[in-house]
Amino acid sequence: MTTIAVDQISKRFGQQTAVDAVSFTVEPGEIFALLGPNGAGKTTAIRIILDIFKADSGTVSVLGGPMTEAKKDRLGYLPEERGLYQDGQLDRTLVYLATLKGLSGPDASRKVDQMLKRFELYDHRKKKIKELSKGMQQKAQLIVTLIHDPELIIIDEPFSALDPVNTQMVKDLLREERDKGTCIVMCTHQMHQVEELADRLVLINQGKVVLYGGLQEIRRSYSGQEVHVHALTEIPTGLPGAALIEKDNSGYRIHLEPSTTPQSLLRNLVERGVQLEKFEVAIPTLDEIFIQVVTAEGHPQ
Amino acid sequence: MNKVRIVFLHEFLLVLRSRSFLLTLFLIPLAGFAVILVIGGLQKNNQGAPLTSLIAPPSDTKPVGLIDQSGIITTIPESVSNLIMSYPDAESARVALTNQKISGYYVVAADYLTTGQVDLYRTDFNPIGGTDDSYLLSGLLEENLFSADPQLLNLFRQPMKLETHFESTAPQRDPNSALTFFLPYAVTMLFYILILGSSSTMLNSITNEKQNRVMEILLTSITPLQMLTGKIIALGLIGLLQTTFWSVSAFFLYRVSGRTFQLPVEFALPVSLLLWGLLYFVLGYAIYASLMAGVGAIVPNLREGSQATIIVIIPLVIPLFFINTLISAPNGGISMVLSLFPLTAPVAMLTRLAATQVPFYQTALAAVLQAGTAILIVRAVSGLFRAQILLSGQAFKMKLFLRALVGKA
Repeated sequence: MTTIAVDQISKRFGQQTAVDAVSFTVEPGEIFALLGPNGAGKTTAIRIILDIFKADSGTVSVLGGPMTEAKKDRLGYLPEERGLYQDGQLDRTLVYLATLKGLSGPDASRKVDQMLKRFELYDHRKKKIKELSKGMQQKAQLIVTLIHDPELIIIDEPFSALDPVNTQMVKDLLREERDKGTCIVMCTHQMHQVEELADRLVLINQGKVVLYGGLQEIRRSYSGQEVHVHALTEIPTGLPGAALIEKDNSGYRIHLEPSTTPQSLLRNLVERGVQLEKFEVAIPTLDEIFIQVVTAEGHPQ
Repeated sequence: MNKVRIVFLHEFLLVLRSRSFLLTLFLIPLAGFAVILVIGGLQKNNQGAPLTSLIAPPSDTKPVGLIDQSGIITTIPESVSNLIMSYPDAESARVALTNQKISGYYVVAADYLTTGQVDLYRTDFNPIGGTDDSYLLSGLLEENLFSADPQLLNLFRQPMKLETHFESTAPQRDPNSALTFFLPYAVTMLFYILILGSSSTMLNSITNEKQNRVMEILLTSITPLQMLTGKIIALGLIGLLQTTFWSVSAFFLYRVSGRTFQLPVEFALPVSLLLWGLLYFVLGYAIYASLMAGVGAIVPNLREGSQATIIVIIPLVIPLFFINTLISAPNGGISMVLSLFPLTAPVAMLTRLAATQVPFYQTALAAVLQAGTAILIVRAVSGLFRAQILLSGQAFKMKLFLRALVGKA
């Protein structure tokens, strides 16, 4: 059963179209990245999925059907605009929010203690939230998102304000949740985190889907336009099929002409007697793909 | 229902544990206790002095001078002889004034009988208290003008002895008693403060959640209606508890100060008033707390919320403008309209009930209208929480607020 099925949703605010006929699906047990530049419509799409906003058109199915109040207890949400009761005591606040997610009082207290220990916040449980560091508050937010063992987790910028150690801990936690079969939708600007964690992604720009699919599949589809070469001899100038040859400390970066394939370039190099040590088709990073796509589509104001 | 209970308990305990609430709860009775202690101490040191003289001692007890150029004032009664000093001419009166023997002097003009002219000379100017002693001269003139016929003087001073007879079996209130006005007035003010205070707590609660950015997490856990219902019940109960605590404290302090409090039988507030009062508080509070929550939902912070609140509480203030009418003509047209219109009814109907006997159908109709309005507003405001304006943090706009209330935003 598909966890989330978004079909042609649109939402306008006054004259501005925030989301324009967006469609995608998210499957159980996968980490799905929702990407896009600032103002692209990611948060609006998430709020429509969560039924905070109503879409002007299109349909959304969550956990097998339309969003209901009962389903809200089966999902965990870490919003972009997040915070906790600043004057509230940490453990009391967490217990309150956990009970709102359907846990009984004793269960909530037990789970809160467990999670606080796991996130190394147990010693701070009696402190007011405003007395905690930014990183600690971020961890407390994650506890609120995960405490009721949701089937679907939607997190917006989960790594902001976390140091490398805590970032690693959260990554491990998300992988663990995925391995348990939990579906995770992650909104982030940190592309290297997406590359490390995500199985599939959708890139939204100016309210429209501009890229959608498996991470490796997308990266492969953008590869082939550049090769990395280590050679024992010089590469001759005017090499057929090469649009640009750049030399750096690690070797050559050869940008291919549009009609040229890596195979034909390799043949040309061998025919010209270049002694090759390494020939590698460059697979672009997600960062590079993101910039390439967004620049080509136009960045929102 | 379970989630409403969770929100209710959370809000109730949150306010109950807050330092500002506890300070307000205990400081006000303590302040009253301190005032009673101070006054009690002062009274011990000034045996027999009336309380008012301790709070506001008489500012000027000097007699007043009089120069009668008309020749009308032939006698100064014994009772005021130490308060009015007669002088033969302006010069001698001026000397007495300069030597601070008198607070001022009056000159009754020679042609007084045709002009009524009297001049007052003082060294200072006090627009409020400066002519306090004019009643002395007024009484003196009356007595001398009517000296030939004391009976006529009495009739002049009290032209009629009005006695009103009510054809009802219920104990009748004395129309001349101060309680006739002050009892409904006190009930009105108490009710106004109770509703406004509790509703303002709601505004605080909502803007606090917005500023702490908890709202979006809450809205993915509970419905706005559940959230609003839980908050309304909790904060309303807090308001009632606070008022009860203050009332009991006031009663206790009154007893501690050695006084007893007993209303005359005709002024005793009936149990039915208490029950209606409780019902009107619940309904009125539900209406205004929801409206405050609506304001809280669409303003970015408490400061702007406080400004927007003024618009919402105007209907609650209207009965205060008409309080004299509500008390003096409790069954008149204006009183009836104000006590039936749901936004003014919570205060206006209570004022009427404290002032007179209101037909049952009117009290019941007012309650039904308020209940209907409360349901509509709670629903409208719940819908408003879903609106995009809640999360966008933009400035308060009346048009947007009204559109949101009818579910168009």
